[in-house]
Amino acid sequence: MSSAEVVLRVRDLKKHFPVHRGVLSRVVAHVQAVDGVSFEIRRGETLCLVGESGCGKSTVARSITRLEEPTAGSIELNGVDITALGSEALRAQRREMQMVFQDPYSSLNPRLSAGDIVGEPLTNFALAQGAELERRIAALFEHVGLRPEAVHKYPHEFSGGQRQRLGIARALAVNPSLIIADEPVSALDVSVQAQVLNLLIDLQEQFELAYLFVSHDLAVVEHIGHRVAVMYLGRIVELADNADLFGAPLHPYTEALLAAAPSLETGARRERIILQGDVPSPMNPPSGCRFHTRCPFALPECKQTDPPLLEVAPGHHVACLRRPVGGDGAPLTTA
Amino acid sequence: MATMTAGPTAATARSPAKGALTWARRNKTIVGGTLILLALVVIAVLAPWLAGDPLQFEPTNRLKRPSETFWFGTDQFGRDVYSRVVYGTRISLIIGLCVAVLATFIGLVVGVLCGFYKTVDTILMRLMDGMMAIPAILLAIALITLMKASLFIVIIAISIPEIPRVARLVRSVVLSVRGRPYIEAAISSGTRNWRIMVRHILPNTVAPLIVQATYVCASAILTEAGLSFLGAGTPPEIPSWGNVISLGRTFFQIAPWIIFFPGLCLAITVLAINLVGDGLRDTLDPRISRRM
Amino acid sequence: MTSTTSKAAAAPAALNDETILSVRDLRTHFYTRDGVVRAVDGVTFDLARGETLCIVGESGCGKSVTALSILGLIPPKAGKIVGGSIRFDGTELTTESESTMRRIRGNRISMIFQEPMTSLNPVLTVGEQISESLRIHQRLDRRAAWDRAIEMLALVRIADPKRRAGEYPHQLSGGMRQRVMIAMALACNPQVLVADEPTTALDVTIQAQILNLMLELKDRLGTAIILITHDLGVVAETAQRVIVMYAGRMVEEAPVAELLSHPKHPYTRGLIGSIPRRKPGAPRGRTRGRLQEISGLVPSLREAIPGCAFAPRCGFATARCTTEQPPFEAHGPRHYAACWEVARVEAKSLSEPVGSEA
Repeated sequence: MSSAEVVLRVRDLKKHFPVHRGVLSRVVAHVQAVDGVSFEIRRGETLCLVGESGCGKSTVARSITRLEEPTAGSIELNGVDITALGSEALRAQRREMQMVFQDPYSSLNPRLSAGDIVGEPLTNFALAQGAELERRIAALFEHVGLRPEAVHKYPHEFSGGQRQRLGIARALAVNPSLIIADEPVSALDVSVQAQVLNLLIDLQEQFELAYLFVSHDLAVVEHIGHRVAVMYLGRIVELADNADLFGAPLHPYTEALLAAAPSLETGARRERIILQGDVPSPMNPPSGCRFHTRCPFALPECKQTDPPLLEVAPGHHVACLRRPVGGDGAPLTTA
Repeated sequence: MATMTAGPTAATARSPAKGALTWARRNKTIVGGTLILLALVVIAVLAPWLAGDPLQFEPTNRLKRPSETFWFGTDQFGRDVYSRVVYGTRISLIIGLCVAVLATFIGLVVGVLCGFYKTVDTILMRLMDGMMAIPAILLAIALITLMKASLFIVIIAISIPEIPRVARLVRSVVLSVRGRPYIEAAISSGTRNWRIMVRHILPNTVAPLIVQATYVCASAILTEAGLSFLGAGTPPEIPSWGNVISLGRTFFQIAPWIIFFPGLCLAITVLAINLVGDGLRDTLDPRISRRM
Repeated sequence: MTSTTSKAAAAPAALNDETILSVRDLRTHFYTRDGVVRAVDGVTFDLARGETLCIVGESGCGKSVTALSILGLIPPKAGKIVGGSIRFDGTELTTESESTMRRIRGNRISMIFQEPMTSLNPVLTVGEQISESLRIHQRLDRRAAWDRAIEMLALVRIADPKRRAGEYPHQLSGGMRQRVMIAMALACNPQVLVADEPTTALDVTIQAQILNLMLELKDRLGTAIILITHDLGVVAETAQRVIVMYAGRMVEEAPVAELLSHPKHPYTRGLIGSIPRRKPGAPRGRTRGRLQEISGLVPSLREAIPGCAFAPRCGFATARCTTEQPPFEAHGPRHYAACWEVARVEAKSLSEPVGSEA
């Protein structure tokens, strides 16, 4: 896996939103939605971004596709730096990078037929027209498990799961190397969610797609991710292979997230770390380690020192002062 | 499906004819307004057959009361008021329609540009705000005095003050649609800007624009009458309703019919257009849906 | 329409002192332009004092409408309870007047909704909102009600309750708003708390806080809880007993551990199988493999379904399943299911798919 070529390389990505106040709408502060995020995704690989609402995971996805203009950092798609490309050059690069959205209802234009929606990317890049266009749309419908006759239907005639299949077919139309999926199953019922996850996995194997999969649902992430990055307040706090992250999480926040996620194990209420309090405002993030205000294991120096994301074990990156390089990974104790 | 037990509101239409009938019953205002407008259009088209020469002077028949020969009476020059009112229908409808089309079209272009490009927005919308601060009729008078009066100039002069309202409406629709995920989906699947506008954004402006166009049409007819009344509108030789009223105002006390009939026609026309507009708004705008 | 409610027959005198709420063959219909929607089509259950009962199912299965029916909150023009009974502590609620319902609602039965922001009044402080229901239902004076409101905020562990009581909903975070909702719901010491997806809009770490809080308060105050959710994980962690609903009908009911380990209805099996999760004992990490799918779509509730509502999507379905509605009957101690083919279902291993292509 690690020998495959890098499809997406993100370096030190930042996105700060200005906050306007007053009559003259002066900029009074910045929301540091994403504050220095770096990672790579290789061909055929799924990298999951996981975190609570407001952690910046969706902003990362939107900045990479430049639906939001990044404040700083660089984004390389198949070796091409797209961070500062002009609109036409960027448009050409979009062929390699397609998006699947969260809401299968509002992400499809209600006035267009299903066939027109799926065929739009093909028309945009002048890849097919006439009978060839129709043939390719029909093929795409089959790939995502929709009946080709459905091309003439309108979005409201489909169920939520079928609509999400349409969204996936649209993303797949131009044979991209990367698909960015922003919470693609969180609006769906569990049984439908399973259908869509299965489809995404099948398509990845078939087309060697790279996925950036944004989700808040740890069970989904554990199911679909090869590597997982946990975000907290605009930063990646832990990045590791799926088995390492779920089997031996090193960051206290990751541990707390895993403990909080409900599982199907019943019986005695599980012993768990329940984080107290809420996520602090990204407008005014805590000093030092951003997690120290809620961390049960915080040391006094956590308030001052901002821990860098270090590779403490092969492929396992953590940003925590209590997890030095070459550490033993033993459970932390409260100081 | 058809064997369903009927609920309290199971008045679902079964055949197209029945469907049309149900629709008509629910939308009485549109049907009523449209019928009146159709009648007016027929009158305008058939004017040469329905009426005599509106310009013919008959000094012997000055200020005659309405009678069998002169249905609406005659004016101070002995011209048949009925013929003038019938021909006036043409002028009013032409002006209403042209202004509606022109103002809507220009407003649409301005609104779309403003909604899509921030720099254009800051410049053009300030201009629009400025124009909206001046009463339409004053702006029109100012514009007409700059040029030689003709039907064409009147249409232009009435259209310009109507543009800002249309532009604002279109801009707000564009701005609200722009934020929808399917626009972002179109951007990220590599759709060019003009295509996003034409294919994804413009269709959303159609319904509110049609409604707005009816109001512009009604207001244009009124503005034209107002301008003519003030002597700043269509050249006096053209028998518009405003001109007829304007000429009759000096003889109002001895010959009220000169003002009454064109005034009545004006009121009916504007009412009919507004009826259609209100009805369309109710059916096209889901937010003001009358039924649960 | 033939409706079998053999559960009512099988467990006739379940009504005893312990039962606080008893629902029998509840049917709630909605009237739309396209016809009648049978949102709840024969739901029967008892709730004991201090018990936690989960109602689980996918969107449109009727779980929320069941809750609204119990509270008498079905919008009168849009729909109504067309059959069955709801007995609460000896009172029949379906025939009760609106003024009586108003006295019961928020006082002896209260409800928590999914989105706390929309159920809180934005122009009143949270303290005013909590004390308002105390003043109406418990006839406390302004001072006493306010003190009690602060006490309730402290009970739901809102830090600095005196200051928070004077704040408006928009000044609070999502988790805190839901705590306020719980404080409001519990202020009058209700006997039954109906919570409709109370943690769905919240993050996992906050969800864990809220669920723990609800269970702890339940133990302390003895409130019975009906928890409505689509999330089997939440069910596993909180419920004592579970009802699974599908297309307005109950398909299975069992104690939680029994239901999750030995589901007898194919739909329950499909629901459990479609959740991405580790097999017990398997190493953590990418689970891969395919998830079980339930193929097909939820049926339209506008048409009467003669047989089992799940039959068109069920791999075990026989001809009988499409014509005759299976009775909701006992298949084990306290374990009920509405399925003709329980024996065949049980013979299959849990990991086998239930889809109709299987």
